[in-house]
Amino acid sequence: MRAYLSVFRMRLRMELQYRGAMIGGILCQMFFGLILVALYRALYAGKPQSVPIESVATYVWLQQAFFRMMVASDNELLDKIRSGDISYDLCRPVHMYSFYYARIAAQKLMGSLMRAIPMLIVAFCLPKGWGMTLPASPFGFLACIPALFLGFLCICALENITVAFTMKTLDPRGMQGLLNLLMVTLSGNLLPLTLFPESWQRFITLFPYAQLLDAPIRLYTGVYAPAEALRIYVIQGVWALILIALGLSMWNANRKRMIVQGG
Amino acid sequence: MNILRLYFKSIGMLLRSHLQYPGSFFMQTLAQLVMEGGEMMVVILIVDRFENLAEWSGSNLYFFFGMMAVSFYLTELFGRGITGDFPGMVRTGRLDTFLVRPRGVLTQVLCGGTDPRRITCIAVGVAALIMGSRLSGIVWTPLKALALVESIAMSCLLILGLFMIEGIFCIYSVKSVELVNAITYGGKSACQYPIDIYPTPLRALFTVVAPFSLTMHVPASWILGKPLYGWPSWTAFVTPLSGVLVFAIMTCLFHLALRHYRSTGS
Repeated sequence: MRAYLSVFRMRLRMELQYRGAMIGGILCQMFFGLILVALYRALYAGKPQSVPIESVATYVWLQQAFFRMMVASDNELLDKIRSGDISYDLCRPVHMYSFYYARIAAQKLMGSLMRAIPMLIVAFCLPKGWGMTLPASPFGFLACIPALFLGFLCICALENITVAFTMKTLDPRGMQGLLNLLMVTLSGNLLPLTLFPESWQRFITLFPYAQLLDAPIRLYTGVYAPAEALRIYVIQGVWALILIALGLSMWNANRKRMIVQGG
Repeated sequence: MNILRLYFKSIGMLLRSHLQYPGSFFMQTLAQLVMEGGEMMVVILIVDRFENLAEWSGSNLYFFFGMMAVSFYLTELFGRGITGDFPGMVRTGRLDTFLVRPRGVLTQVLCGGTDPRRITCIAVGVAALIMGSRLSGIVWTPLKALALVESIAMSCLLILGLFMIEGIFCIYSVKSVELVNAITYGGKSACQYPIDIYPTPLRALFTVVAPFSLTMHVPASWILGKPLYGWPSWTAFVTPLSGVLVFAIMTCLFHLALRHYRSTGS
């Protein structure tokens, strides 16, 4: 266990080094958030919806703030797969899946927290209807935190599944592109899931991608009442277990028939 | 003319090299199709829920979306050297070899990359254009077709010019500057919807600094028969020229910046 904790800690520190890239990333993400909020405001001016605009703005800001959590991937590992250096990792006396799970978790956690905190502070300062609003209720906020943690476990597990596909195809771009697209669309980054047609929402909210950020955001904005939180946690927890089990079995299968590139 | 022949020859060679890995090429092209299809789906879902955006009907929105998709991905298809590969050329020192050859640096950079996977994105854009034009009931005249072609060509030059800003920064700082994405990719996201729905600061940014609204929205809204800001019809042919202006300015700046180029030495 200590090995995994220390790789987690080391990765956290490494992620802290890139502060310049962080500021550029924040400004860029803020700009995208601003454009989206402006668009939804213009749409709402014509035809108000049952979901209030403040809640949509909050949804957009939370999605943008945690965007890094979704897209960050372990490029070093992908390079290792391509160059064949992955065979060194096979010799290490650690469990490979857990080792890389800890690494990716640290990368995503630090990367997104470093960006999310300043962004959310700025988003709170924006005028009403443009920026973030306070959570629907204190309970909603409290209920959102465990949901965010469970969603985080799901994201890291999904990332490891993508890597497992890369080990098979060796070229990360095709499969990774497809999976990332599913992620961006079905997690509510392109269009808030609360604005999808109602008949779709019933299914989409059960998908794994909706567990990442959509479920916590809905608890925060009060679309899900705090009383429902337990039901949400169960769905998220089940998905986290399924995704980790799937990833583990894929990694184990890959270990047995690993093709090592290069020499 | 010699330069054009050279350009098409290199693009042809690059195309053939991409096709050497048909499996990977097919997967990636498919991924691009799904990606752009996803963006299109978002527009359809928005139209389904909101019906109108200010005075623009849903079918008008498809037309605007198609204009942006076609222009942006045509640029990526033919100008990949600038839109994607240039920071890598500076970092790895590949740019050094360009400096000693008897051709313009910009020409060589442009000859150095193409991205044929984008063809599916362009197809989605064309589909959106056709859908938007049918549903909006546009009556096509030769003049309108000319305006469309001019608008797309000028938008491509504009986008190329905007990506050159990143290249210019890159010559000085070596590392690619993520912030420039705000006006390139940000411009794409923002300006696939008509400009007049945005508040004044955003409108000013995309009219004066990165004039997407001049190259794209003024002619498009004239074609749709709802001139932007009620401007007269000759503006639909004059304002897109700002695209070539931006490109010319950025080309000059690019060459100025090249004088300060210090190789990474690797």
